Amino acid sequence: MADYKLTEEGEEYLKNGLPEKNLVNFLNKLSQKSATIGRLIANIKNFPIALKWALDKEWVSKKGDEIILLKPPHETPEEDALRKIYEGKEVEEDTAKVLMGRNLVQRITETYKKAEEALAKTGNVIDELTHDIILTGLWRDRKFKLVTVETIRKLDKKKIAPGKRQPYNHFLMQVRKKLVQMGFIEMTGPTIEMEFWNFDALFQPQNHPARCWTSTYSLKYPKFGRLPLKNIVSRVKAAHENGWKTGSTGWKYKWSAKKASQLMPRAHDTAITPRYMVKGLKIPGRYFNMVRCYRPDVIDATHGVEFIQTGGIVVAKDLNFKHMLGLLKQFAYEIAGIKETKFFTDYYPFTEPSVQISGKHPQLGWIELAGAGIFRPELTEPLGVKEPVLAWGFGIDRLAMNKLNINDIRDLFSRNLKWLRSQGD
Amino acid sequence: MPTLEVSHSDLCSLIGKEFTIDELKQYILFAKAEIDGMEGDLIKIDSKDTNRPDLWSVEGIARELSGRLTGKKGLLKYKIEKSSLVVDVNKKVSKVRPLTVCAVAKNLKMNETTLSQLIQLQEKVAGTFGSGRKEVAIGVYDFSRIKPPIRYTTAKLDKKFVPLDFEEEMSIKDILEKHPKGKEFGHLVKGLKEIPIFIDSAGEVLSIPPIINSNFTGKVTEDTREVFIECSGFDFKFLMPALNVLVAALIDRGAKVESVKVVYPGKTMYTPDLTPKKTSVDTDFANEVSGLKLSSKEIANLLEQARYDVKKIKGKKIELLYPAYRQDILHPRDVVEDAIISFGYNKIEPELIKQKTKGEISKLEVLSEKLIEKMVELGFQEILSYSLTNKEHLFSKMNLKEKQLVEIENPVSLNWNVFRTWMLPSLMEFYSNNQHVEYPQKIFEIGDVVLIDEKQETKTIDVRKLVASISNSKVSYDDISSVLDVFMAALKIKYKLKKANHPSFIEGRVAEILVKNKPIGFIGEIHPSVLRSWKLEMPVAAFEISLEMF
Repeated sequence: MADYKLTEEGEEYLKNGLPEKNLVNFLNKLSQKSATIGRLIANIKNFPIALKWALDKEWVSKKGDEIILLKPPHETPEEDALRKIYEGKEVEEDTAKVLMGRNLVQRITETYKKAEEALAKTGNVIDELTHDIILTGLWRDRKFKLVTVETIRKLDKKKIAPGKRQPYNHFLMQVRKKLVQMGFIEMTGPTIEMEFWNFDALFQPQNHPARCWTSTYSLKYPKFGRLPLKNIVSRVKAAHENGWKTGSTGWKYKWSAKKASQLMPRAHDTAITPRYMVKGLKIPGRYFNMVRCYRPDVIDATHGVEFIQTGGIVVAKDLNFKHMLGLLKQFAYEIAGIKETKFFTDYYPFTEPSVQISGKHPQLGWIELAGAGIFRPELTEPLGVKEPVLAWGFGIDRLAMNKLNINDIRDLFSRNLKWLRSQGD
Repeated sequence: MPTLEVSHSDLCSLIGKEFTIDELKQYILFAKAEIDGMEGDLIKIDSKDTNRPDLWSVEGIARELSGRLTGKKGLLKYKIEKSSLVVDVNKKVSKVRPLTVCAVAKNLKMNETTLSQLIQLQEKVAGTFGSGRKEVAIGVYDFSRIKPPIRYTTAKLDKKFVPLDFEEEMSIKDILEKHPKGKEFGHLVKGLKEIPIFIDSAGEVLSIPPIINSNFTGKVTEDTREVFIECSGFDFKFLMPALNVLVAALIDRGAKVESVKVVYPGKTMYTPDLTPKKTSVDTDFANEVSGLKLSSKEIANLLEQARYDVKKIKGKKIELLYPAYRQDILHPRDVVEDAIISFGYNKIEPELIKQKTKGEISKLEVLSEKLIEKMVELGFQEILSYSLTNKEHLFSKMNLKEKQLVEIENPVSLNWNVFRTWMLPSLMEFYSNNQHVEYPQKIFEIGDVVLIDEKQETKTIDVRKLVASISNSKVSYDDISSVLDVFMAALKIKYKLKKANHPSFIEGRVAEILVKNKPIGFIGEIHPSVLRSWKLEMPVAAFEISLEMF
């Protein structure tokens, strides 16, 4: 049995249907089940071919200028065969011959002969699976020689040329190392998180626009998680409804535990922090995370399928807004190498005051570097943290793109081996 | 983040002082916004505070700037007189869209700019603050065309009227199906047999909230001198501030606003209510948050610039009044931020944090880093793939049966609607994109897969994995097996290989990798039918291991 591939015409018919099939379908929809050649030429692509085959198959008859439907076919084996060949599946030899006759498929012939002969020499058993054997489909009716899989082999190290790191991942690791030098401990958390940790514990009200269907993903399966300790949940609930003991009025609405227990892919990196706050932070402490986040953005040059966010917190007694600004300036210099910076007013539901830092980049001009703020007491106190917590998120993707000289954010997860091989030293 | 378009000259005239665009770029920080671009007189503004609808209008921005730049400090006076208008709320709306608050504005002097600003504000408030009109829908009507009193009730779907910007009568049913606004917002009334309606005493329809106004009463033009405004929804917490934001903007432009008597079954209220609200802040607390060393008087002055009125200063306690269009002040902390904004973020001297701490990379990343270095040494190219994928890639293309996995309910694309349960498909997909690139292709990836695990509180678990593969015109089991061996030796891990069955691999050429007799992954030659389903023409040998045991 041999393998085939579709010709251009075969691909077109697979996509748009066989012309003779399109012809009978067209006739079948007409009440009189017939039409003039003139009308059919205008409506059926490749009409002469369609007519030839429909007549041959006795699906239609011709009476003067009129084409009359005789019986619409139940099945068209040719179409099925085209699909099978396209998908690399087996087809009947006879059907294949018909298709070859119509120049819809080609046999992969020369390679086939060569591969067949080669296989015959080894007793028609496949020893090494090769490009030719795969392409000809000879693997379908030949046995593979068994190999001894349980014996451990030794590698000839002389044969190795070194590989390369993925440049974006490498960049991330360098940032990680920089943060560790600055005294930050890395936090991690689950990819699938409860809304409770992603939103509620961060004092984001349940009717906040950022929590709607179009701003975050929800899951078809699994749907709900198990909420944490009752006392934490009831304090967070109170903070939302009436401010709890924090001196806040809260958001003044009825908080739903069911909504909070819904599962979702983590939408932002700050979702990681509240679990650490409940477990107990080192005071003083510096923490960071670098994790994948998921939002239903329309995918384009500035929005990938998923993205990696870098952020974290600093917690210590007597920290204030001046320290917040100092920390951001330090980040700008240490991570982006930028000295000239400006602060902007900003808003996050979980911080107050909030701030953004922009910096003058040598190539990019003024760019937004980081967003930050001091966690609200409605957030920290229910989770058991009494000290001020400075929270920050650093936009490192833009810096990575600049360093790697790319303009499309999707290229951070590049599928281009040639480009990957050309990167780095 | 709401984006606005405002007129440069209009903004300056509202502030009462001329500013260049460069000056505005700097000062607009006072209104928590950034200038995003300009075209002639038109300025594009990004408003960054999603919780301050009062800042989403040129009038609101002007208030914040004039308070800080022109010496016009403190609360703006918003005088509201009572009108004779009554809006009668029928109990039938209680199940569909129960609440409304209303106002009347007279003496309007509209022109193209002010009209477009009013429409823009209405759209931003209902769209962003009102969650796409769900929580707040806003109607503005030509009051001279309305015959009071107005009823807020419900109507059947066969009720007909001429919707805004249309010429012919349509039934509500048709409006929901055919009118552009019906299509856009129809989901908010989906399944209702009767939908909310504002109607006047002459039987003229004003609107069907939250969908569309009528063309007769609901069309506001530059010639309109008086408007009736209503906000409808489910919670006064959203409706009151929304109405206040709108009427404050109109008053800032010289309109005279009158209140409306809204009669609910068993309750009567007058809206809008622009009485300032009370709060207070402690000077020590403000300094503790800001790090500034300001006196009570200095803080009071900064807050007056932010449009607060200072009622009195009692030692360290500053008693304040703030405008009724603000609903974002939950805690004295919110007041402190306003004072810091008046002070100027860029006038504050940043301070370094002195406390020393010791940093640390997570154990999993330390391990991953070590493995990456090893694989690179062995001549493998590292790749990075998305963790979102589809079932076809994970299962059918790999000759596998589907199994339960984490699936997204509202995916952007069906190409990315599940989380990967194993890594090898990411590499196969990578190969299929690179068939024209020079072979051999040795690639690897370290990353997380997400598996269902009912024992976990999130019902799922992330597992860190390593996958590596070789593709060339000829590749054997020995080629990949010897790589695994060097790799394991470098990690000083003892392992065994055990014959196994796995439909993605060639029968007899696949083994399970065992560490301490526990399976951690597979190694073998990929089955040609799998290669073909990825349209690959070169053989591939691969191993994939879970790093949990390391």
